[in-house]
Amino acid sequence: MKTMFRAALMGLVLTGSAGFSAQAFPVKAGQGSYSDPGITDDTIKIGLFAPLSGPAQAYGEDPLNAARMWYETVNSMGGIWGRKIELVIEDDRCNANDLVAAVKKLVEQDKVFMINGGSCSAAAVAAQEYVTRAKVPYVMLNASGDGALYPPTDYIFGAISISQRAVGGTAVDFATRHLKGKKIGYINHDDAYGAWNLETAEFTAKEAGATLSVESINPNITDVTAPLLKIRAFNPDVIILTTYARPATLILKKAHELGMKMPIILTVTGTANLKQLVDNVGTKDAFKNFYVQDVINDTPDGPKQKWVLDMYKKRYPELAAKPDHPTPYMPYGIPAAQTVTHALLLAGPNPTREGVARIMRSLTFESGVMAGLISYGENDRAGQESSIFLKFDGDKQELQPGVYVSRWVYKP
Amino acid sequence: MPITLPAKLGSLAVALIALIVLPHLTTGYVVYLANLMLIYIILALGLNILIGETGQFGLAHVAFYGIGIYTTAILAGRFDVPFPVAIVAGMLLAGAIGFLLGAVSFRMRDIYLALSTFAFGEAMQWVFKSWDDVTNGPNGMRIPQASMFGFRITNDHDAYYIVLAVTIVVVLATVALMRSRLGRAFRAVRESEPAALALGVNVRLTKVIAFTLSAVYAGLAGGVYASFSSFIHPDSLGFTTTILVLTMIVVGGLGSIAGAIMGALILGLIQELLRQAPSYQEIIYGVILILFMMYAPKGVAGAIKARFGRSAAK
Repeated sequence: MKTMFRAALMGLVLTGSAGFSAQAFPVKAGQGSYSDPGITDDTIKIGLFAPLSGPAQAYGEDPLNAARMWYETVNSMGGIWGRKIELVIEDDRCNANDLVAAVKKLVEQDKVFMINGGSCSAAAVAAQEYVTRAKVPYVMLNASGDGALYPPTDYIFGAISISQRAVGGTAVDFATRHLKGKKIGYINHDDAYGAWNLETAEFTAKEAGATLSVESINPNITDVTAPLLKIRAFNPDVIILTTYARPATLILKKAHELGMKMPIILTVTGTANLKQLVDNVGTKDAFKNFYVQDVINDTPDGPKQKWVLDMYKKRYPELAAKPDHPTPYMPYGIPAAQTVTHALLLAGPNPTREGVARIMRSLTFESGVMAGLISYGENDRAGQESSIFLKFDGDKQELQPGVYVSRWVYKP
Repeated sequence: MPITLPAKLGSLAVALIALIVLPHLTTGYVVYLANLMLIYIILALGLNILIGETGQFGLAHVAFYGIGIYTTAILAGRFDVPFPVAIVAGMLLAGAIGFLLGAVSFRMRDIYLALSTFAFGEAMQWVFKSWDDVTNGPNGMRIPQASMFGFRITNDHDAYYIVLAVTIVVVLATVALMRSRLGRAFRAVRESEPAALALGVNVRLTKVIAFTLSAVYAGLAGGVYASFSSFIHPDSLGFTTTILVLTMIVVGGLGSIAGAIMGALILGLIQELLRQAPSYQEIIYGVILILFMMYAPKGVAGAIKARFGRSAAK
C-alpha cells in the first residue's frame, strides 16, 4: 500500500510541461516579489470550498475533508517548492449566489492564489464568468460541472470524479462489450445531466452497433410503470439507469415485480448508498443480475483504496467512527487536490496563475484513487472519463474486469 | 426619547455618504454583497406592499423575480435589446402576470391564497427548468454583460451605482406610494375589507393593484440582478428564496418600509456571516429568528418605534 500511496503522492506525472524533470516537492522556493496574490516565499494560499451546510452537505463535506488531508500530507512532506499550503475554507451551500460570494471572497478578500471547490454542478457553473475574467485557476472538487467545461475555457477544470458525458458512454461500453448487449434500454433524467450522459451513450452505442431505447424521466417521478413497460416492450438485452437513487429504487422494484430478468446497470449518479438502496427496494432478489458503475480504481474497501481509507481514519478518527463514513464521494477530493499540487509543482519555483493554468491544460497524472488517469487536453477540461463496474448482489460487490474509458471527444 | 427631524436627516445623510463611498473603501466581494442586498431591499419592499401593507399572503414573489431575470437576459442576450429596455420589459411582463394572478385570486385569502400563490411559484420554477428552448432549462442560462447608457458593466463596482440609484428611486417611490390615497387603501383592505368597502375603497381593484405592483418590484429586482450577475439557474428561484424574502419583511416589521429595508440588510448580512460557521449555521439562524420573534414580535421597525417613538421607524 505504501507504494500506491507514494505513487499518488509523487504524482507520477506522465506528461506535463516540456522539459520538466519529474522531481517531487522540491524544497527550494523562489525568492522575491510575486506578480500574483496569495504567494510568498514560504506559503501559497488555496481557497477550498464545498457545501458544508444544508441538504447538500453530504455531497461536499467528505470530499473537502479528503482534499484537506491531501494538502496537509503535502505540507508534512515540506510543501511545494518549500512553500506550505495555506487553506482558506468556505461554505458554498450548493447555491449559485453563495458559491459566487464564496469565490469572490476567496479571490478578492482572502487573496488566494487559486481555488479548488464545488460539489454542485449548477452552482459551480455560476462562477465561470468571474474566474475567467479574474484569470484565477479553478479546479472543481467533485462537481462534474459539464456546463462549465464544454466549450473549454482557459481557467476552469472539473469532472475530477467523472464527467456526465463519460457516465453514459462508459456504461454503454460496458453493456455492449462485457454484457454483449445489442439492444439497450436506457433510462435517464429529463434534466441537463440526462441530456449530457445520453449524448455520449448514443455515440458509444452507434460505435458498437447497438440500439438504444431511451426513456427520459423526471427526477421526482413517483410511478415508473409507464416508462418501464415501454422499455420492456423493446425487449432489451441490458437496461442502463443513469437516474438518481430514488427513481432507481422505484425502477428496480417495478422491474422485479414485472419479472424483468435482464442485467440492469446503475450508474454512479444513483449509487451513493447501496445498503439504503437494497433496504428501499425491499428484496435482494431484485439484485440478482445487477451492476453498479464506480469511478474509483477498486471496490471502496478494496486493496487499491486502502491507503485512502487509512489516511482518512488517521486524520479524522471521530468521523470515520460514524455510520456511513466515509461517504462514497470522499475519495474524489484527493485527485482534485492532487491536480492543484501537481500543477503547482510543475509550474516551478516561481509560479504564476497564468503558468499554473497553462500547465493544467496539458496535465495528466495517475491519482492512485480514480478508475482512470486525470487528464486534460487542448479541448478537454474534464479530468476523469473512466469507470469500473461491480456486480452487486445486495450484499457483496464483485469487481468486473476492465476499465472503461469514454471515447467521446468534444469537437469545438 | 423621540428622534428629532435633524437627527433623522443627519442619519440619512451619513448613510447616503457611506453608501456612495463604499466601493472605494472595500473589495469587489463586499460590493457584490452590497449589490445583492440592494436587490433584496427591492424584493422585500415589493413583498411588503402585498403582505405587509395589503395583508394578502402571496407566496409567488420569487416567480416574478425569475420572470424579470429571464426576460432581461433573453431580450438582451438573444435579441440585442438594450439592457434598460430589457429590464423595463421584464418588469412589465412580471407586472402583467402579477395582474392576472391577482385578478384570479382576489377572492382567496389567508392559507388558501398562500397555497394557490405557492403553487404558482412552483409552477413557474418548473417552467424555468423545463422550457429548454427559452430558458435553457436545468443547464441554467448565461446572462450577457450589461451595458447601460454607453457604460459597460464589467464587474460589481461598475454595477453598484446603478443598483444603488435604482434602489433609492424604488425606496422614494414606495414612500410616496404609501403616503398616497392608494397606500391608505392598501392598509384599509389589510385592516378590514368590509370597513374598507364602507369607506368607498374598491377592494377588488386595490388587491389586484397590490399584486401587480408587488410583481413589478420583483420583476425590476430581477432585471437589475441580471445587470451584474452572469448566470441564473432555476434552483435559485425556489421556495427557499421566497421564505428568505418573507423572513426579511417579518423580521424587519410587516407594513413598514424601514422595516423591509432593515430586514433585507439584517437577513442578508446574517446569511453571509453564517457561512463562516457551517456546522452551526442552521441552529444559529433558527435561534436568531426565535429571538427576533420573542423580543421584537413586531419586527425591528416595531421595536425601534416602541423605543424611540412613532416617527422613528416609519
